[in-house]
Parts: sequence; C-alpha cells; structure tokens
Amino acid sequence: MIRFPESINAGAALLAEIEKRSGQRLSACYQCGRCTSTCVAAFAFDYPPHRLMRLLQVGMVREVLASRAAQLCLDCMTCSMRCPMKLDVAGVIETAKAVADEAGLKDSERDLRLFRRGFLNNVRRHGRLHEAGLFFWFNLRTNNLFNDAGLLPPMLRKKNFHFVPPRIRHRRQVRRLFQQINGRQG
Amino acid sequence: MSVYSYFPGCSLSSSATEYDKSFRLVAGAFDIGLDELEDWNCCGASPAPHHWGGDLGILLPARNLHIAGAGHDSMVAPCAGCFNRLKYAQHELSHNDELRRRTERALREPVRYQTEVLNLVQLLNREIDPGDLAGRTRGRLSGIALGTYYGCVLVRPPEIVLYDDPNDPVKMEPLLKAAGATIPHFPFKTECCGSYMGLARKEIVLKASRRIIEVALECGVDALVTVCPLCHQNLDLRQQQINDAFGTDYHLPVLYLTQALGLALGFSPEELGIDAHLSLGISHRTSSFDNTKKA
Repeated sequence: MIRFPESINAGAALLAEIEKRSGQRLSACYQCGRCTSTCVAAFAFDYPPHRLMRLLQVGMVREVLASRAAQLCLDCMTCSMRCPMKLDVAGVIETAKAVADEAGLKDSERDLRLFRRGFLNNVRRHGRLHEAGLFFWFNLRTNNLFNDAGLLPPMLRKKNFHFVPPRIRHRRQVRRLFQQINGRQG
Repeated sequence: MSVYSYFPGCSLSSSATEYDKSFRLVAGAFDIGLDELEDWNCCGASPAPHHWGGDLGILLPARNLHIAGAGHDSMVAPCAGCFNRLKYAQHELSHNDELRRRTERALREPVRYQTEVLNLVQLLNREIDPGDLAGRTRGRLSGIALGTYYGCVLVRPPEIVLYDDPNDPVKMEPLLKAAGATIPHFPFKTECCGSYMGLARKEIVLKASRRIIEVALECGVDALVTVCPLCHQNLDLRQQQINDAFGTDYHLPVLYLTQALGLALGFSPEELGIDAHLSLGISHRTSSFDNTKKA
C-alpha cells in the first residue's frame, strides 16, 4: 500500500526544519544501508536507520517523529562514522526526536520516556542523580518491582547503592537551569 | 606538582566508587593533585540531551564549567559521559548565543566556560611518563592481554571531543604497554554497549554488550579495560544477566584503566576496589595478578 503524507506541504516544512537544525542534506543518502548494518539497536527498531532516512526523503516525516526508532537510538554515532556520504545519521534521528518532543508526540516507548523524565526530575530535586531513588521510582511506576533486583546484592556488597540521596548546596540554581528549557516538559 | 579540578560526576560518587578510589590512588602515585569541584551538579548524562528538546544537555554541564572557571586551568572528568557532556557544553556555549544567554539568566552572571576539559586517558598521558611507569611496574602485568575498550562517547563526535581516532582509538595503549600488558587486536573497541537502556529496555543492553564480550574472548582478551562507568555497568555488573539471557558462561573481568594501572603499580586488588567486581573470573585473575606481584 502506498501511503502519502497528510499534506505534502506539512511534510516538506517539517523536513526543511530537520535539515536546517541537523545541518544535513537528506537527499545525499542513497540507501546503501551501511548505517543499519552497523547499528546495535536496529533489531529493536520499527524502522531501521536507512529506512528512517528514506521516509524523511519522501516527506513521511510524521512516521519518523512518531517512530520507536527515534526514541531508542543510543546516539553512539557509529552510523554517522560509517556513512559513505558523511551524513550525520544519528544527528538526524536526534533532531527528529527533539522535534517530536516539541510537537508533543509522546506515545512511543513510554517506559523509556518515563525513565528519562524520572532521571531528570531526580536531578532537578537533588542537583545530582540519586541512583537508588530513580531505580525504585521507575520500578514502582512500571509495576515491575523486581526489575534488576539481581543487581542489588553485588551493589550493596560494593557499598555502591546509596539509600540517602546526595544533596548539593545550590539546588535553586540547578532548578533555575531547568526553567530555561524551551521544549515542552511532561 | 600540577593540580587539576576534579569532576567526579554521579557515577563515581555512587555506583562506581571503585573508579574514584583507584583514580585517586594512581593520581597520588604520580603526584597529580586533584581538587574536587565545589558543589558540582549532574552533567545530565544520556537523558538530558535526549529529552524535553535536549537543552538540559548543555544547561546542566554549563554550571560545572562555570564553577571550574573560577579554579584551576584544567579540569579532569574521568567518566567518559561527563567528559562528553562538558565538551558539548563548551562547544555550544561558544557557538550558540541564545542558549548561552539562557544559561546566564539561570546563573545570574556571565558564564565562564573556557576551562580546559580533559578525559582520564588524556590526563594520564600528559602527566605520566611511560618510561617512569615501566620502571615502577616491574612487569606486573606482563603476559596479561588487555582489551582496550573505549566505548563511543569518549571519541565521538570527533569535532566536539577533539580526541583520538573516532573509529580506532589507541591512546590507552602506551600506558598499558609500559605497564607490561599486551594489547591484542580488538576490533570492537568503540562498539556501543547499549548505553542507558538497562532499566527500561534491557534486551538492547544485553545483546549489545554480549557481542562485545564475545568478540573480546575470541581475540584472546584476559580482561577489558574501560574509562566509562556506564560501559562498566553494562559489561560487568550485567554479565550475569547476559549469561542468564543467552545461556553463555562468560567470566570476563572488566577493569577501569586506573585499576589496571593500580595493579601494575603494586596496589592490592582490595585497595583498588577490584575485590568488589562481579565477574567471577576476576578472583582468578586477581590471584594471578597477586602472584606476578610477589614474583
């Protein structure tokens, strides 16, 4: 089945935005697939990296913004290092993710987003990451209390699992940094 | 004695205390002064640049640069992730006026961001003379094959971190070779370990890290050496999960660079926090390290 973007113009405008922000000329991609062959996370993607590039080229930007792949990219940049056209593929995916955030698209990979949000809220509160706090919070929120429970005994043995949160003096200043975010929070 | 600002970051103060411990020992052995940054905050790690539009990935490390700006000329960030974020922030603050102004609104003064930021390998290569190191280690690591595992964020993107080769980094080698170790060819030195997906999408981490361990063993590696606490967590702490998931029986020790050098200098595995390592193989390797020491 051939699918067209809802509106060609909307697709073109988003595409121009992604090209501008990432500084990449998407038409340079000729679909060799090397990015996909080097990607360690592609097995979990709905669209592999070279397909994401193709979707963008034909203006199906919404598919890319809403994709699980955009959320799951590890940003290891191996694809960008290997691209024969020297395209920053990871940067393009990263840009798509940022644009999706701003557009308020947040249905894909809810757990992963929850983790990122929990991490940042944890840092907003303490100024530093309280790992144990994030661990329990995430497992409670996802109803998966024993997730990674097997890692606790060795961490406790190492005295590397701290129940008391860290605290910095100027937490207010860190909170002010959070107030300077332009993107949507939530 | 040269003194550096020291940015430990969250991992080195909690889940990777052995990295902090071994770093301080090795630094002390070479008269490298470390002055911990006052009231530092989290650099944002992987979630900050990838959430809420990504601005926090610059805003958070910027405050640390600002604090460092009032101190020593150079700052060391042993965690590869922190190093990467600090370098990114420096780059953005000098190229993106709008974001710099927002940073300054939060800090309420002009941001100081010019402090030189060094990663651990960079600092050690600058401060340690390989000849001196060789003389002090008396071959304690000889006969041991170490796989140098750099991970991704230490060397990428090259135009931001400006460090080593992004595909085939080699800067750990002079130090480890001087300490007597052999460095076998290990093509997976920059393959991604699965990053921060451990809690939320474990299968990505287990699969990615398994490949690294598998290839390391095929290359005849006795232990992997890393400078990234997250890579360490994925390859070492999660090694049992990998075995459970894939029916493998890996016992590959994973050491921080400072632990490997610490062993070479004659510090005990306990002092370096190596007794705390999960990989069962380490007790075996550790005793062989001990034997070489006594010999």
